[in-house]
Amino acid sequence: MTASAQGLPAEYDERLRRSADWPVPPGDWRGRALRAAGSAQLGYALAGFLLFFALWYFLTSVVVPPRFHFIPNPAYLFQQWTSRQPEFGISVFSPQYYENIRVSVLRVYAAFAISVVLGAPLGILLGWSRLGRNLIFPVVEMLRPIPPLAWVPLAVLTFPGTETAVIFVTLLASFFATVLNTYLGVRSIPDTYFRAAACLGYRRIDVLRRVVVPGALPFIFTGLQIAMGVAWFSLVGGEMIAGRSGLGYLILDGYTQLALPNIFIGMITLGVLGWISSALIRKVGQVLMKWQSKGQEMAS
Amino acid sequence: MSPVPPSGAFVRSRERVVRAFRSPVFWQGVAGVATFFVVWQLSKAIGLMAALPSPVEVVQGIPRQVAQEGYWLSWIASGKRVFGGFIVAAAAGIFLGIVMGMSRKLRWSGFPILEILRPIPPLAWLPLAILFWPSPEMTMIFLTFLGAFFPIFINVLAGIDNIDMRYIHAARSLGSSSNTLFWRVMVPGALPSLFTGLSIAIGITWEVVIAAEMASAQHGLGYLTWNAYMGHSLVGIVVGMLSIGIAGMASSALMGWIGRNAMPWRRGG
Repeated sequence: MTASAQGLPAEYDERLRRSADWPVPPGDWRGRALRAAGSAQLGYALAGFLLFFALWYFLTSVVVPPRFHFIPNPAYLFQQWTSRQPEFGISVFSPQYYENIRVSVLRVYAAFAISVVLGAPLGILLGWSRLGRNLIFPVVEMLRPIPPLAWVPLAVLTFPGTETAVIFVTLLASFFATVLNTYLGVRSIPDTYFRAAACLGYRRIDVLRRVVVPGALPFIFTGLQIAMGVAWFSLVGGEMIAGRSGLGYLILDGYTQLALPNIFIGMITLGVLGWISSALIRKVGQVLMKWQSKGQEMAS
Repeated sequence: MSPVPPSGAFVRSRERVVRAFRSPVFWQGVAGVATFFVVWQLSKAIGLMAALPSPVEVVQGIPRQVAQEGYWLSWIASGKRVFGGFIVAAAAGIFLGIVMGMSRKLRWSGFPILEILRPIPPLAWLPLAILFWPSPEMTMIFLTFLGAFFPIFINVLAGIDNIDMRYIHAARSLGSSSNTLFWRVMVPGALPSLFTGLSIAIGITWEVVIAAEMASAQHGLGYLTWNAYMGHSLVGIVVGMLSIGIAGMASSALMGWIGRNAMPWRRGG
């Protein structure tokens, strides 16, 4: 913000070079990579990472403050993670690692799928039908403040087996996120659209297909992204408290066995998987809502 | 009755209550909630969901649960953890958000690291935090801090990013110092987004604290619920859940109230 006050032409030039107008096709990854490699931003990011890892290494191997001796240094961590004979049995070469990943991913996606299949229609009902909203919304609002993880004991007692209990806990949070955002999405559609549809003689099903769903889609996808985030969050809690497998359990097990590399491997893997899941939803949303970005371009 | 006439605010709130009682919306809501409880009670009566206590049992059990030793202490214990972590997170999140929002270089170098740490669920830090921090209390506060920090930070950053450049240019043209620019343009511009972040964060802190208390703690509402589970007291579990829900709602309401008072210009007039 200070840069715009002085030296406008230089900054403008810089911005133009990095903007989408620069004659590099935006879809071409080589062009984008070239552009990214030359930008100052990348340099700063690299410097930031370097500083972060250098500090980490320094505090765990060179000068170790009182409570830092628990933390393994990054080089050792990487070596363990890629070792064929890891000290604590978890590395990219061990089948248990992939088994834990598989279990956690399956749980999250199962929970996510269920919460979308149940949550999106309920949200549309709440947003679209006034009677439905008046009857059901208070119940939703009554249950929503209870954090999903508070359901763990009840879920363990009610559901057969830990698997369903963990999935139930995982889906609760994403279910509410989906319902609420779908509801808000339907409510955000201007009334005139409904009136226009009525004038044009749409049947209810057409209104649903042509007005309600596309109108609510941006909000629904915001909701789905939140839902994915909270699903991973609750999954870890569920697996730690009630699970016998999965990445959350791997972390807790690493704690009880004092296998610190496993804790870090589990954390980093969870972060990566969570990030990939969110990116996936963003991508699907972009593909499904091409009309939206096109409209924005025209507007600006 | 006291002869003091009721104040304006009181009359308005009474009017609102009267109006609510007359409106069909209110009664439909009551019908919805009542149906929920009736279905719960009936499904219990015909043998479904045998593990759950019926609503009547829960209501009957509330006095005993509340009277048990340490019930109110667990409210205080959880509340301290939630607000301890929350306040530290708010201070750190606002500070870093402002610093990275105003300086492009700091943002370029610091933001990617935070973006890498952000997707790691706060609870995944639990074992490490237990090992690292000398006391369990500090572990809990660290976890609630982690849960609250990222939403606050991201929202402060987004709030500063979304301030209309024209406001800044206008302030500059009118000769405002950078101090004035900060307090009169940046702060009010970023406040709505900040409060969005704060209200998301307070919800997350409650989730984190409950799970952390279930996994390892001596007091707190999460521990209370877990203890009821260990003692096979289903009524205790449900009462614990309700208490957690109420605590979370109260904290969110508090955030909303602070937000409305900090941003009087956004109150609908």
